[in-house]
Amino acid sequence: MRRITRWYGANPLHLLALLACFALAGYAAFQLVPSRPEGIAVWFVGAVVGHDLVLMPLYSIADRSVLAALRHRAPSMPSVPWINYLRVPVGLSLLLLLVWFPLILRLNTRYQDSTNLSPDPFLWHWLAVTGALFLLSAIAYALRLRAARRSRSPRRSSS
Amino acid sequence: MSEGKKPRPGEPARPGRPARLARLVMPEEPPPGPFRRSFWRSPVRGPWLTSVLGLVLLGGISVLFATGLLSYASYNPDLGGVNDYTPGKGLLGFYLFSWPSDPDWLYRLNQGVHVTLGLALVPILLAKLWSVLPRLFEWPLMRSPAHALERISLFLLVGGGVFEFATGIINIQQWYVFPGSFYTLHFYGAWVFTAAFVVHACLKAPTVVRALRRRGLRRELRVDTAHTVPESPEVSSLVSTAPAAPTISRRGVLGFAGAGGLLLAGLAAGQSIGGPLRRTALLAPHGQVTGSGPQDFQINVTADEAGVKSPVTGDGWRLVLAAAPAGTAGTAAGTAKPVSLTMAQLLAMPQHTVSLAINCVEGWSSGNQVWTGVRLSDLARLAGAEPPGNVYVESLQEHGGHAILSQGQVMNPDSLLAFRVNGAELSLDHGYPARVIMPAAPGVHQIKWVTKMTFGS
Repeated sequence: MRRITRWYGANPLHLLALLACFALAGYAAFQLVPSRPEGIAVWFVGAVVGHDLVLMPLYSIADRSVLAALRHRAPSMPSVPWINYLRVPVGLSLLLLLVWFPLILRLNTRYQDSTNLSPDPFLWHWLAVTGALFLLSAIAYALRLRAARRSRSPRRSSS
Repeated sequence: MSEGKKPRPGEPARPGRPARLARLVMPEEPPPGPFRRSFWRSPVRGPWLTSVLGLVLLGGISVLFATGLLSYASYNPDLGGVNDYTPGKGLLGFYLFSWPSDPDWLYRLNQGVHVTLGLALVPILLAKLWSVLPRLFEWPLMRSPAHALERISLFLLVGGGVFEFATGIINIQQWYVFPGSFYTLHFYGAWVFTAAFVVHACLKAPTVVRALRRRGLRRELRVDTAHTVPESPEVSSLVSTAPAAPTISRRGVLGFAGAGGLLLAGLAAGQSIGGPLRRTALLAPHGQVTGSGPQDFQINVTADEAGVKSPVTGDGWRLVLAAAPAGTAGTAAGTAKPVSLTMAQLLAMPQHTVSLAINCVEGWSSGNQVWTGVRLSDLARLAGAEPPGNVYVESLQEHGGHAILSQGQVMNPDSLLAFRVNGAELSLDHGYPARVIMPAAPGVHQIKWVTKMTFGS
């Protein structure tokens, strides 16, 4: 037993759990794959590659670039860090776009034919929500900035 | 913590033969770039953040799984025939039961939760995947057979997870680009994902417990950005060995992801809740209000799309009622002489009025409307099916537009073949001349443009 554990690299229960996982996944996949195996494989691999090697590097690079630009201009910037007041509205807006892009970008969906509803409002709704997010973020930042200035400037009454 | 000094689980104390073999192909020193731990700079990445996000997903995805299984059962696939889009389900249909026809809000609640929660979990999933990205570039690629197998299961986990979320989100926008029928893909895909999800949750449970004990949940939630410090690089390979200065706290990351979830859900929930709140569903397929007339509520198949044109629904329209021998409903092989009824004859029967909503598998609801028509159980008796069994309903629709309704659905006094809605004759898009309306059932089974009903007994 100890030899198996050493060769395998974990407790035999680990192996049992994984074999059960592969049996169930394989059973389901066997029902799924025969219809269009290459299409399904492209979707599964595409899901991993599209997220891990495209989407995430893109937003990480964008985030680092903004941070680098911020650091470069540091001396002239206000003292309250503003990166999250930019990150949050941009991130939330892109999240909405990521989820609803087929409707927002009016891709070739069956939406109008099926529902008798126009796909036109989605772009405007998204832009309006994005605008509101930036506005809220700007207000929150202005309040933080004011609070920071007040606490820093020596109060005359106290002297 | 002396934990880091001990070999991690899944890492042999002394390399066995496969490890020595692997070392020949794979040098011990990782190549430059993401395979080196120092490449990853975030000071908040580590087991604490991953564990908290993992716990949120554990709860959320369990609810998605349960509501998904219920949604699958609501189609009554075990009645076979046209109801069963997944005849190969085998053991995966082990739990199927006859879907109840009350309370009437049952399916609305189930689908509203499934779809709205699914949307809300998107940013949580993204944050979780961000938090573990260094693991994709682990070096060496395989430490042991255990490690190799676990990485394969992680491929199923990430691939299956993104696949399930993507197919669901794309389907509710009616962008049919996936390789096959959504129903089949989302169902079998869910089982592949669930298999990997359950084993992952079991294998990681001790790590989660350790991470939360080490830092405490509430304690860390009180820490702001200025006081955020990285975890010890010894506790996990997720922790950076060259952390940058913090620009966001751990609670900030959780708040960011949580705000994304609330935003997505808040901009969509109105399509399931209906009423005045429908207007708040700014980013949801069925958030638009088209007017205030009796027929101004949501549909998902127009008469035009269904290929139903007015001549076939005009004066020549007849409702054919047939009785099938027991066990053959769904095959339309009626034996007793069918009864053919005109609209005038149907309107001469006792009319009943119910207030019910059309609730779609896509999560939206039409909100309650007032329907008038004849009871399905009365039609069953007229067809000579006594006591009534299942019924196979056919439509003038060119494709699809048929379903087997269960005995329970037929017998429910609120199940009608409706001719009027909110006081007006049904419009062509709402299924003129007659449509099925019944409580707690998925919208796709509330057949429009009904032409024939074959009752079993």
